[in-house]
Amino acid sequence: MLPSTKEITISKQPVPIFAVILLAVIFALGLFVVGYDQGHLLSIVQGPEAFDELFFHELMHDMRHAAGFPCH
Amino acid sequence: MGIVLLAGCFAGIIHGTANLAIVEPYLDDAIGIENQNLFASGEEKDTPEFWVEYSAYRNWQKGGQVLAGAILGTSIGALFGIIFAYSRSILPGTHNVKKALVLAGIMWLAIYFIPFLKYPANPPTVGDPETVVLRGIFYLSFIAISGFGVIGFYQLYKKLEKSKKIVAFIGYAAFITAIFVVMPQNPDEVTAPMELVYGFRAMSVIAVSIYWISLGVILGIFWQKIQPDKPIPMRPY
Repeated sequence: MLPSTKEITISKQPVPIFAVILLAVIFALGLFVVGYDQGHLLSIVQGPEAFDELFFHELMHDMRHAAGFPCH
Repeated sequence: MGIVLLAGCFAGIIHGTANLAIVEPYLDDAIGIENQNLFASGEEKDTPEFWVEYSAYRNWQKGGQVLAGAILGTSIGALFGIIFAYSRSILPGTHNVKKALVLAGIMWLAIYFIPFLKYPANPPTVGDPETVVLRGIFYLSFIAISGFGVIGFYQLYKKLEKSKKIVAFIGYAAFITAIFVVMPQNPDEVTAPMELVYGFRAMSVIAVSIYWISLGVILGIFWQKIQPDKPIPMRPY
């Protein structure tokens, strides 16, 4: 009987590019909603009224100030 | 991917809760000044109806503080996760909590604290609505320049011999100092009492720092436990 040899290959997992893209989109969207939206996002469904109502601006208001984003 | 979002969300909820505890009193004081200005100008009347409506509105905004913490925390957590995944192998330490805390410290300094020194947080009553977009552009630009500056000088750091690596740190310091001087000042005059403004800024820094520490610890624990980039042993048939 021939002696058997075992070969083990280590495969290092690269960072999946789709995950990087998805995380980058989440980063940009979250930052915009909390720090910069002035009615832009809701104007897509609500129309120009969203720029007067400033729903996200008002809801995120306290965090905007507390986290250092410009406000008012 | 899930662990970086979850870690960011948890750290963000901690941030929002810390804000409720230590930053909100300053926000309430500042908004109180705004209310007095509204009464003085005749835009609003100091009536029980006003205060009922105001209380309900402020409670809604305080609830939004925690929600915003979760959203912002998840958002920053996503960025942190990308950078951690690429830099984990070169970060000092053997434990992932230490590695994540080192990266959190670098990011806190580069994309939060140094930009904060140039454009510090301000409470309500400070800030002209007409300049909000301009101030937003200044702030985001400074953050981006500082962040990409760190990446650029890290590339230089890698190429330098061990005895000359200090040049990369000095280079970043000189670069960001030049940017600090060149970038325009916040155009708005601070008219609120400085005691209120300084107290608010100090609490703001503490709360944001709590977020970065929480993010490093939580993501480090998750990464250590799950090890998403662990090499896969493949046994050929």
